[in-house]
Amino acid sequence: MDLGSAATAVLPTPERRAERDDRKERQPVPGAVRDDLEEVFRRDYRRVVGVAARVLGSRDAAEDVAQEVFLSFGRSTVPAGEATGWLSVAAAHTALNVLRSGRRRTSREEATAASPVAPDAAEEALALEERARVRAALARLPRKQAMALVLRHSGLSYAEVAAALDLSPGSVGTTVRRAESALREELNRHASSG
Amino acid sequence: MRHPAEGVLRRLLDEPAGVADADRRHVADCAHCLAELAVVRDDAMLVGAAIADSTGDLDTDAAWRRLPAASAPARVAVPHRSRLRDIVKRPAVAGLAVALVLTGAGTAAANDWLKIFSTERITPVSISAADLVALPDLSAYGDLVISSRPDVHPVADAAAAEAETGIDVPEVAELPRGVSGDPEYQVGGEVVATFTFDATRAGGPLPPPGVDGATVRLVAGPGVAQVWQSDAGIPALVVGRATAPAAFSDGVPFEVLRDHLLSLPGLPDDVGAQLRTFTADGASLPLPVPSNEVRTSTAQVGDATATVLTSRDRALAAVVWVDDGEVTAVAGSLDVDELLAVARGLR
Repeated sequence: MDLGSAATAVLPTPERRAERDDRKERQPVPGAVRDDLEEVFRRDYRRVVGVAARVLGSRDAAEDVAQEVFLSFGRSTVPAGEATGWLSVAAAHTALNVLRSGRRRTSREEATAASPVAPDAAEEALALEERARVRAALARLPRKQAMALVLRHSGLSYAEVAAALDLSPGSVGTTVRRAESALREELNRHASSG
Repeated sequence: MRHPAEGVLRRLLDEPAGVADADRRHVADCAHCLAELAVVRDDAMLVGAAIADSTGDLDTDAAWRRLPAASAPARVAVPHRSRLRDIVKRPAVAGLAVALVLTGAGTAAANDWLKIFSTERITPVSISAADLVALPDLSAYGDLVISSRPDVHPVADAAAAEAETGIDVPEVAELPRGVSGDPEYQVGGEVVATFTFDATRAGGPLPPPGVDGATVRLVAGPGVAQVWQSDAGIPALVVGRATAPAAFSDGVPFEVLRDHLLSLPGLPDDVGAQLRTFTADGASLPLPVPSNEVRTSTAQVGDATATVLTSRDRALAAVVWVDDGEVTAVAGSLDVDELLAVARGLR
């Protein structure tokens, strides 16, 4: 992926904004879908679903997020060279929104998973429970920490994460570390209590 | 030398070249830091495994076919309506748009109108008075304070309506066939909401300079509606006029903030659709309508280009236009030609 362009994709400087507005004027038809959508979709679909799946832990939900993200992209004027970075950031953000809005449901899932189960289903239930716990903990993280964590584990460089989240590259490590530390504590807490 | 911070150790795992030489040398020779580094590495691996991407094989072809934009005629034919199909999912929105036009006009009149749309012709929907004022719910993106609600109520006549709203009540020159008698007058005051954007709460891409913390005032109304009832007790004709929805900003131009909000991934479709109806000068009214239920076209009313909404069964129609900061709607269970005649004959 193009490192520099992904970083700048999420930084709408006044110049870029003006450029976009200018481009908008040259697109007299509101809502027209950009011509390179299919090409970008086929190239980056796997990556976008992957980013969302890290957050949601569900392939179906991740594919739904990807649909939403590519729809937004299709209506955007993001330069083609910056698409991959933009899509990754949008996927992480949208998936976290979904996760946050479904927090109550996750709590219910936790309750269900914690209820007694037949011995032969115990292992599966344990995996489900752990997955639900990770998602619940992820939903509770401050937004910047969660974004930094997901983007970093999705393969974005420190410079790209820094640009996407308005952090200095030096503080990305601190932010990712805090997120990992919080999630680790959550996992350990349950492991020791269970 | 002090031990490097945990963040430095974390980066050392991923991008050692990004860590200062002095820090790298220190860690290599420091038992304390090496122990810390091991903990940081274990946590990173544990969490990495917990949030691993386990989607496996994907059917990109099927996913592409599923994307509405891939099959919509947006790129070739009627992009305007395709966009609307994309952004509006609730069947009540056409009614909502008309209600917005009658804003201020109001809850009572608009409810009646919606009832026609919802219970007789279109999937039943539940819609609250809060929806009718049509201020977008931006509470997830900052602080939204509604400081003035419309307080819709009937008044005795046109003079009273004008006195309360300051709006010239449009006078119908000639009632269409089948509509008779005197109208009921409804008025509503201004709806005012103040929204302060909070970039941290909103998340998403970095906003343009000045947008974080920017405050805008969204105003709709006041408005007035005249409602002629039919024998069946539903409105046969509604003529409404209101101050067009507008947004005022003392900092960054409103459009900058609006465009940033619209660019945020995850913005609910209906909020986006409502947001688009607000302009800085109240000069345009892009109506969100469900194109599978309602046809849209345009017609000339005086100097203004009006949007014409027609339900697919032709039972209901509305003509809506904005002129000089005021939005006017003529709607009812009449033919478009009859409504246009009323619209063009307003005094």
